[in-house]
Amino acid sequence: MSNPRVISTVVNGVQYERPVEPRLLLSDFLRQTLGLTGTHVGCEHGVCGACTVLIDGHSARACLFFAVQADGSRIETVEGLGDVDNLSPLQEAFREHHALQCGFCTPGMLMTCVDLLRKYPLASDAEIRDGLSGNLCRCTGYDHIVRAVRAMAAKR
Amino acid sequence: MKPAAFEYLRPASIAEAVAQLGEFGGDAKILAGGQSLVPLLNFRIVRPSVLIDINRLAELDFVEEDGGGLRIGALTRHYTLETSPLVRERFPVLSAAMAHVAHIAIRNRGTIGGSLSHADPAAELPMLALLLDAEIRMLSAGGWRCHKAEGFFRGPLTTALGEDELVTEIFLPALPPRAGWGFEEFALRSGDFAFAAVVAILTAANGKIGEARVAVMGVDETPLRLRAVEQSLAGQRFTAKLVGAAARQAHANVQPFSDLRASADYRRHLVAVLTERALRAAWARAA
Amino acid sequence: MSGGAFLRPKHIGARVKRVEDPRLLTGQGQFTDDRIVPGALHVAFRRSDHAHARIAGIGTAAAASLPGVAAVYTAADLEVAPVRATSRMRNYHATAIHPLARDTVRYVGEPVVAVLAENRYIAEDALELVEIAYEPLAPVTDPEGAARGDAPLLHEEAGTNVLAQREFSQGDAEVEMAAAPVRVGGRFRFYRKTPLAIENRACLAEWDRGRRSLTLTTTTQVPGIIRDLLADLLDMPGHGIRVVAPDVGGGFGGKASLYPEEVLIAVLARKLGRAVRWTGDRLEDLTSTSQGFDEIVDAELGLDAEGRILALTAEVVGDVGAYSIYPWTAALEPVQVISFLPGPYRVPAYRGHVRAVATNKAPTGPYRGVGRPVSTFVMERLVDMAARRLGVDPAELRRRNLVREDEFPYRVASGIVWDSSAFGETLDSACTAIGYDTLREEQAKARIAGRLYGIGIATYAELTGIGSRISAAPGMPINTGTETASIRLDSTGAVTASFGVASHGQGLETTLAQVIADELGARLDGILIVQGDSAAVAHGTGTYASRSAVLAGGAATQASRLLKERIVRAASYLLEAAVEDIDAADGRVFVSGTDRSLSFREVAKAVYSEMGRLPPEVREELEVAKIYDPVFGTTSSATHIAVLEVDPKTYKVTIRRYVVAEDCGRVINPMIVDGQVHGGVAQGIGAALCEEVVYDDMGQLLTASLADYVIPAAGGVPSIETIHLDTESPSTLGGFRGMGEGGTIGAPAAIANALADALAPPGVEIFELPMTPERLFRAIETAKAKGA
Repeated sequence: MSNPRVISTVVNGVQYERPVEPRLLLSDFLRQTLGLTGTHVGCEHGVCGACTVLIDGHSARACLFFAVQADGSRIETVEGLGDVDNLSPLQEAFREHHALQCGFCTPGMLMTCVDLLRKYPLASDAEIRDGLSGNLCRCTGYDHIVRAVRAMAAKR
Repeated sequence: MKPAAFEYLRPASIAEAVAQLGEFGGDAKILAGGQSLVPLLNFRIVRPSVLIDINRLAELDFVEEDGGGLRIGALTRHYTLETSPLVRERFPVLSAAMAHVAHIAIRNRGTIGGSLSHADPAAELPMLALLLDAEIRMLSAGGWRCHKAEGFFRGPLTTALGEDELVTEIFLPALPPRAGWGFEEFALRSGDFAFAAVVAILTAANGKIGEARVAVMGVDETPLRLRAVEQSLAGQRFTAKLVGAAARQAHANVQPFSDLRASADYRRHLVAVLTERALRAAWARAA
Repeated sequence: MSGGAFLRPKHIGARVKRVEDPRLLTGQGQFTDDRIVPGALHVAFRRSDHAHARIAGIGTAAAASLPGVAAVYTAADLEVAPVRATSRMRNYHATAIHPLARDTVRYVGEPVVAVLAENRYIAEDALELVEIAYEPLAPVTDPEGAARGDAPLLHEEAGTNVLAQREFSQGDAEVEMAAAPVRVGGRFRFYRKTPLAIENRACLAEWDRGRRSLTLTTTTQVPGIIRDLLADLLDMPGHGIRVVAPDVGGGFGGKASLYPEEVLIAVLARKLGRAVRWTGDRLEDLTSTSQGFDEIVDAELGLDAEGRILALTAEVVGDVGAYSIYPWTAALEPVQVISFLPGPYRVPAYRGHVRAVATNKAPTGPYRGVGRPVSTFVMERLVDMAARRLGVDPAELRRRNLVREDEFPYRVASGIVWDSSAFGETLDSACTAIGYDTLREEQAKARIAGRLYGIGIATYAELTGIGSRISAAPGMPINTGTETASIRLDSTGAVTASFGVASHGQGLETTLAQVIADELGARLDGILIVQGDSAAVAHGTGTYASRSAVLAGGAATQASRLLKERIVRAASYLLEAAVEDIDAADGRVFVSGTDRSLSFREVAKAVYSEMGRLPPEVREELEVAKIYDPVFGTTSSATHIAVLEVDPKTYKVTIRRYVVAEDCGRVINPMIVDGQVHGGVAQGIGAALCEEVVYDDMGQLLTASLADYVIPAAGGVPSIETIHLDTESPSTLGGFRGMGEGGTIGAPAAIANALADALAPPGVEIFELPMTPERLFRAIETAKAKGA
């Protein structure tokens, strides 16, 4: 590792201190350094959205953020939403509405939904679709995802 | 696609940032939102030896009143502009445009300073800066400098910003009262880089058009103010014939490029259509 | 067989929530790159940036000496035979595929040098230090030009760029066509696509030094095919190689072939005695994952004055890229264009001829629908063109020509037999669901208002669940026609069912469990489906070609029934009751009319763990393996109807409504069926409106990022209404039909017809896809200029 910097970051409520090379992407830091492989990598140019996490409470592409930047920041990934025996209401809604097939885009999709549900009224399907426009899915055709989000928006 | 190695600096103050810029100049890149820069790093299209991360400079993240206008810090995130009550009140065209910028994850990180410095020909903020007669404030070790938006954008990804200069804030002068706005964009998918976009501001004076501003993007190497079109509109009665003429004039006044997505002819065609729509929307809001 | 009469299936047909979901929703899935192997070497490939060139020399010393780099390899460093996709087809030429390019590169993106390093970052640094000297050769990018005798050859040994040729004919199509009162036709062009799964291809090879065995974890749809091939290539027994497809992030055919990277990783892991891994990035996916749908079709349809089809002719050129992919061969897609072109219609005279032509582009392979999206586009356009010429409603013209129920089994001119399917019913059902007559009224009003409003219909038929008598290419090196189910009740009473399929989004862990729960009488949550693993069964191929519900479902049905008989026989002894009086459900065996029952767990304990409980002559293995061969397979069909509007100024397309009525046989899980339809339709919409792989004249890939290769996002796919015509197939065990590909087969045609319908007032015909805004602009401007 050249020029390592020690960073201190909180991921899903757990504090980590690790040396990282400046160019290490947050996506790789989460997956390789911390072993949190729930965040997936699909393009490394910010288009597909598979790597979306929350940085200091806001959705962001982990592939466009360096681990060094996470020093002093709070990161939330899909692993923090729920676990297999205790799915979050959003995860349950996805399951109920069959909003995932291969599951690869799903973590990024979920983290985007968390942010959308906090920030936007999502009063119409058009608004939901617009909010999801930055997360590409090749399996579902989106309709079931929209239904899951609509159900969650109604429950807020 | 992993980036090449770089040295990473994280200044704690504007002075420090500017000093670092001065030291490394052309070998360094400013890291603000990173939404345009990091893809280029990951593709190894750009390979700065130094990255200066200005995200700690909280003093550059602000939206403040200044007379009837606004001063916006360079580090202000797109999402802040999208949701700021001040922006919505004083520059609703800016609020509306921000919703079209990419997607929520990009808007959470992307900054106005970054967007204007990066100067993508199909980015909304440079076009809006032109429309709103923005003034861009920059700092280097040599001191402050101000540049009007007009002439700031020199070419694709090229601006008047010096290698050792940092954009610190953008001043948006007050708009005339009761200015109506229209924003029309054509993109293949929501949030994509637009094929073309037109934004217009019209004021109403005694039933006629008072002031007219028309800016376009995606149809030239930089965003443009269509001055000739503005002159044709100012002081005239708003009629279908006038709007049609303005659209044809816009059509004639742009030199678009052809690329994989769209030909020059199609872009020109879109400019005409979007100009007409933007003007109608602006007039409806002005009246 | 024990009395199934007093039990109705309750899992098959039910909207069961997926077993896969909890782990996938919580980030606990295990995708290939998720598997952590400390000390594994990471591979990066230096790929060709020339479309066609001789490799004059490669310098690797600088790269090899970079700190953190373990080794650098070129073709010269490897001793492994090339892979060839063989076939008995006449006029077919196989091509040699090396894991790293040997002597010649034939497409931009072909792997030339492999760098192994501590991590991917360093490996990419080292790539930049590799020096390759190329002697450029003339690139061949136009398939029609490539087919000519004077074109530069991609493969000397073939002596031609036409890697395959095939013809199907029935009657004398030319004579019938010449005599036909109505003739419509044209040159149709479907431009190249890439499957673009969101997970890029990746593989990881681990070598166990102690056991001299290899485990290859890879993002594949076909672990069994890879295992069998590697056994040959590496000269190892099958039990020494295990190919595992863990959670796989979508495939759509792009992960259904063997890739050079997989061979290379396996060879290097064994050579170095350690783990070697490669995770492709999106640029590698766009340049080197197999592509598809690249055909030119000159077709003509002849009808009588009443609109009955008399003849159909088609001359097809398929651009298959630089190599004939393993195992399917380059003929896979092009041949299916002509074998399925007549569709669900009565076509008395037909001639379809195809050439599969090599060019300096990425090899083509299976992509969802394989040839049928193209053939359906052509035929459905022809039918609509004929309807317009005759002044007949397009739905009505279809009714006049769709094969009717009393005509089944119906032999298509290409030799395909439609066993039985509800062609006409899907059309009627879709029309009813969308309110077709009302739509036409709305359209009339919209047209008066100057709106460009279009309604497009596409009816198609396909063969799914194909068995051993239907081959994608005669003599190809694999058997796609059978599937094995090996089901056992273990000593704890848990059920494990192993298959050769490889789920990558279709939910097979759930649907197969549903079948078994009903047929075996097990509890749904007591069943583990093992799949995606070459070690699971003696022979397997994988999941592709809409086969898994039919073949694995059929095998599961057979094996479950036999296993249930054994369980019932054991229970009959234990419960001292007649076999006829015993049934099983919800994980219990019970004597009907009484409250005497045993759980599967209790039966298992008795059989396995209580010594002497059952006499040896009564005790049977509670483990059954069955191979199912549907022999021919079965027909699936559907009608898609799309309603869209084209903005008369910007030419932006908005899809307002979309209906699919499908005959998908006995539905196992309607939720999953819907999901497959939606996803397929979304890909079809992308194929019709925005997706295109573009190469320039020098064979350089222009669509080299996700900003340039554009797939539909959430705003671009409408809500899709689906109607399932739950008609059991007469040809498959369980009555299942395959339905994974229907969406991409019907959607491009429905959208194309809707566009043509919308643009009928300005007089625009649709002959090519995707109809991007630019193409719409050009077509409309041209039509306006002509009209002016």
